[in-house]
Amino acid sequence: MSLALDLKTQTLASARRLAGDSADLGALEAISFPERKTERWKYTSLQALADGHLNAVASGELSQPLPALSEFVVTITNGILSSSTLPDGVSLKQESPTVNGLETPFAVYNSAVAQPVVLEVAANTRIEQPIHVQIQSASDVPAHCNPRVVVQLNNGAEATVIEHIHAEGQSLTNAVTALITADNATLTHYRLQGEHASTLYIGTLVIDQQGVSTVNSYQLMTGNRLRRNDVHALVSKSGAELNMKGIFVVRDKSHVDNQICVEHSVPNCESDQNFKGLAGESGKAVFNGRIHIHPGASGTNAELSNKNLLLNAGAEINTKPELEIYNDDVKCAHGTTVGQLDPIQQFYLQSRGIPAAEAKRMLSLGFVNELLMSLPHEKVAEWAQPWLEAELTHASPAGDAA
Amino acid sequence: MLEIRDLHASVADKPILKGLNLTVNPGEVHAIMGPNGSGKSTLANVLSGRDNYEITGGEALFEGKSLADLEPEERAQAGLFLAFQYPVEIPGVSNMEFLKAALESVRGAQGKEEWDSVTLLRKAREACKQVSLDASFLKRGVNEGFSGGEKKRNEIMQMMLMEPKLALLDETDSGLDIDALQVVAKGVNSLRSPERGIVLVTHYQRLLDYIVPDFVHVLYNGQIIKSGGKELALELEQKGYGWLTGEEESA
Ligand SMILES: Nc1ncnc2c1ncn2[C@@H]1O[C@H](COP(=O)(O)OP(=O)(O)O)[C@@H](O)[C@H]1O
Ligand SMILES: [Mg+2]
Repeated sequence: MSLALDLKTQTLASARRLAGDSADLGALEAISFPERKTERWKYTSLQALADGHLNAVASGELSQPLPALSEFVVTITNGILSSSTLPDGVSLKQESPTVNGLETPFAVYNSAVAQPVVLEVAANTRIEQPIHVQIQSASDVPAHCNPRVVVQLNNGAEATVIEHIHAEGQSLTNAVTALITADNATLTHYRLQGEHASTLYIGTLVIDQQGVSTVNSYQLMTGNRLRRNDVHALVSKSGAELNMKGIFVVRDKSHVDNQICVEHSVPNCESDQNFKGLAGESGKAVFNGRIHIHPGASGTNAELSNKNLLLNAGAEINTKPELEIYNDDVKCAHGTTVGQLDPIQQFYLQSRGIPAAEAKRMLSLGFVNELLMSLPHEKVAEWAQPWLEAELTHASPAGDAA
Repeated sequence: MLEIRDLHASVADKPILKGLNLTVNPGEVHAIMGPNGSGKSTLANVLSGRDNYEITGGEALFEGKSLADLEPEERAQAGLFLAFQYPVEIPGVSNMEFLKAALESVRGAQGKEEWDSVTLLRKAREACKQVSLDASFLKRGVNEGFSGGEKKRNEIMQMMLMEPKLALLDETDSGLDIDALQVVAKGVNSLRSPERGIVLVTHYQRLLDYIVPDFVHVLYNGQIIKSGGKELALELEQKGYGWLTGEEESA
């Protein structure tokens, strides 16, 4: 039997166990899991899942708790809400509204079994402090969990959500996150992902701008055994604005596959994607940035930039802008590059006495620094700076050639 | 302190230096002049260990140690400093962060006391002032968006902080107006000391009005073809290089 069929059988069996025999699993029954040749999955092998992650639900504990980056923290452990402290104006429900834009079979499986955590910000309410949503999981044996977080901003609401995903051991986090904004809402979203390298992550982030709203999303991630990150943005009311910035770092044998799709379906919206990638050792990263401008979405201004740095010859980054534009009256700027450390810059630093490895670290950090400096929340910046520094210093074998 | 004997060097496999001899003792200021393309920058790059600049024969000793055996950072730690003809822009790495890393490494290697960040900032501000560079340049990316003159002054500022034993200045005067030239010359002169060697690579005699050298050498086609005192520079100014090289002067 092929792995794709296996995965389907496993998820159906798991869904019956978790959701009960009476559950409607029609959507899951109808969908196929990716084959090796499936275009959208060609850079991500699911072979690791042959270990059987989908047969069991993770039940372990983190070796140490995550630091709280705010007074207000919601913790989801192995897919289940375990604690929450929320400010006035934010309510927590466990019934999910329909989430648009979920397409992968893993997201469909999540829809069938997840116990959603829905954070709703009341209309015309400004939440000063960020809400730190900790999504954590651990397992000594191959196992998975299905966290599902929906953040809903009503008319005129303003909030910051730090989505912080952490996993240890052999856990597969199969996540769905949805950000839904109504008119005049402003959402700042962070996604921090520095799970242990042995873990796996497959997730879809939906940004559903149902209203004239502004969403700023900052996504910082390292690679792990398998990381598949689908982002599906629906910019669907005229005047809406979406800014996404991100940094991904893959070292050693780690992997990241970013599949980002921004859909403009109405006139006069703006979207900007600015991602930077770094790959070292045998790390592999993929960035597929799709901009889909539907007929009628005139006056769209969509930008996409993905610059990447290869730290050595064994690393690999595949980046591709994918434009589907069915409209003449739009602005769409895009650029993707893959480069290496500049030997002249490196020589300049070394000629001032800075050792080669340190020079490389400084140049790599310099490459993403602008983005790092632009993080608006100090607590997040304080987390991100040492995290990134550690990523850039770690595991670099002595004397590895540029 | 610097002893170059019959040095042959290639850039990307092309022979450029073809038997160069030069001795610099502590306290001396040497000027190396010569037409464009004669190998002046190649010499500076070979001495500081740039990739693809390969010594193919002879030797270059710094305080008795063969430079060929040292990584570029080890040469800097040993007390060698090159002011680049074309200083390099490094966006995302601040000038201050750069100075901190450089000074930590070099002072540490030389057994000098470590400067804490307050001291470092004070020293850096003083050095900026001496080369008429606003202290705000310390926060900017290394040479990022600096004008030509600002880049050169930034080189001198770094040199003053690093206190090298031997300073090589590659065309530090080029592209400077007369005021900036005087600022740079003042910076270099302030570093003149009995323990320190200075090698000025220059195309024009102009700089030597302000930094008076002890020796002047003419580099041509990878060799030093004439050496003399400071009056040689004046002679070159009047006659050009043609009388030495046998070629029509193009510069
Ligand atoms: N990176 C390089 N690759 C190939 N040739 C070079 C390189 N750098 C310098 N050269 C050549 O070496 C010769 C000497 O150049 P250079 O040392 O820069 O001269 P100068 O500084 O005296 O003007 C020139 O012919 C130049 O074209
Ligand atoms: Mg030159």
